[in-house]
This record gives sequence, structure tokens and C-alpha cells, in this order.
Amino acid sequence: MNCIRFRETIFLYTDNEMEEELLVAFREHLVLCPECARQIDYTRRVRALLKQGCSKNRAPERLRKRIIISLRRGGAGFQS
Amino acid sequence: MGKGNTSEQRGWDFEAVAMPFVDSLYNTAYRMTRNAQDAEDLVQETYLKAYRYYDKFQEGTNFKAWLFKILKNTFINHYRKKQQAPPQSDFADIEDAFETQVSREAAGQIKSPEEELLEDVLDEDVQRALDSLPPDYRMAVILADLEGFSYKEIAEILELPLGTVMSRLYRGRKLLETAMLDYAREHGYLRDGKPAKMRSRRDSSPSQAGPDEKEGEEYRRKSGS
Repeated sequence: MNCIRFRETIFLYTDNEMEEELLVAFREHLVLCPECARQIDYTRRVRALLKQGCSKNRAPERLRKRIIISLRRGGAGFQS
Repeated sequence: MGKGNTSEQRGWDFEAVAMPFVDSLYNTAYRMTRNAQDAEDLVQETYLKAYRYYDKFQEGTNFKAWLFKILKNTFINHYRKKQQAPPQSDFADIEDAFETQVSREAAGQIKSPEEELLEDVLDEDVQRALDSLPPDYRMAVILADLEGFSYKEIAEILELPLGTVMSRLYRGRKLLETAMLDYAREHGYLRDGKPAKMRSRRDSSPSQAGPDEKEGEEYRRKSGS
């Protein structure tokens, strides 16, 4: 596997979606190429930043209440 | 309040299984609509539909994915048209930079990851970057990176082939990364005022004080922030 192929398939690896066959070649390259190894860390850091920056919006209490009340009325009272 | 009321019991069952997902659904709705009111309405509508179709849900299959599919369809039907387009100037700049990066990688000029720049990335940069993605890419990235769905689950939610999901993720994430770095670069430049810090991919010539200042001006203006 070369660097270009490595970069093309990197998400398969970081998403734990890579098939066994490809994994073997991927890991071989990973061991031999420090540049590409750093790219793995980089990709993971980008994702961590994304999670940190964009996961904060919790459902407001008023929304929870609205939904629960409607469900307890048997689905009545929902505005569609 | 009658006991053994079928409709009421159904409500309790559904509530128990469905309410745990309200934060995830809301966060996704908010990132897709970029508006708190629309997000609340979207989530409420999603719960309504899910409740109404609950008897169609197959026990033992993926309930979270099922809820998200309803959210996705409701978003497309009601809120997608309502959306303002993402800031066009941002996206054009970002696509430029992205295309450059892709063609360099294809030509074999693999650069080191811009790790330093990640230090400068703020939460607001990340949010802005995610917001700047076209909805189709944004949704895929949210499902994978914020909600942790597998490719197969994402394909189920979006009702798309696996290959399409993978290419949306690839492109969406690359666009996101490029946008984040662009915004971080802005901070670095604005904070230090030093041309050396501004490593523009569009300008391969070494930066100098005079011309670079002007380019920085233009860059800031183009980005519309």
C-alpha cells in the first residue's frame, strides 16, 4: 500500500469499518510510514474537536415537558 | 385516568424507549436547522410521527436509527427548504482550498498534517465549519462523528447505498477539516499579525510583510466575518 491509498482509506480505519484484507496492508504501511501514522492521530483529533465543539445542545426542559405531556395524553395535543 | 387504557399504556411504553434519545435528536436537529425554534419543532414532530408509527417498528431492530430516519425525512419535508443557504463566500473559499488539497494529494505531494493549526481551533470555529457544510454532507458527518452510527446504520437512516454514505463522509469530513483550519488560520493571523503564521495553501510564495498584509485584508473580507 502506498501513501495515497492510505490517505484514501484512512476513514475506514478510524471508523473501525475496514475489512480484514485491507487491514493487513494498511497496518503494514502504518508501521513503515511515520507521516501516515501522524495522519491517523490528526484525523482523530479533528473528530475530537468536532465532538467537543458541536455536542453541547441538550433538549431544553420545555421541549421535554411538551413531548412527555403529549405522550401521556395518548399522543393528543401534539401540534403538527 | 383509566387503568389499562391501551392508548395510555402505549404512551408509557413509547415514552420509556423514546425519551432517552431526545438530547441526541435535538442536537442533530439544531445542527441541521441552525435555529433553536425550528429544532424544537422538528424534534416534537419527529416524536409525534414515531409515536403514530410505533406499531410499525420491528421489535429487535435498531430503534435509534429508526428515530433518526424519521427525523431525517421530517427535516427534508419541512425544514430543508426553509434553511438559509450556508454563507456562500465561506463555502467558495473552502471549496477552493479543498480542491487544491485534493489535487496535491493526488499528485503525490502529501504534506504533513497541519497539527499546529489545530491548537488554534475554537469551538465557534468548529460550529461554523459544520454549519458551512451542505446539508447532505453535514447530516452524514453528524450521524457518524457526533452520534456514532456505523456506515450500515447511516445507510439505513439516509436510505442510501453504502458507497454513497462513504463518499459523503469522506468529502464532508475533508471539507470540515479545511474549513476549521481556515478559521483557525484567521485567528492566528489576527492575533499575531505576523505574516509567517499565515501559511496560505493558495499562495505558495513565501510571505512578505507588505503584500501579505493586503492579502490578509482581502481574506478577512472574503470570509465575511
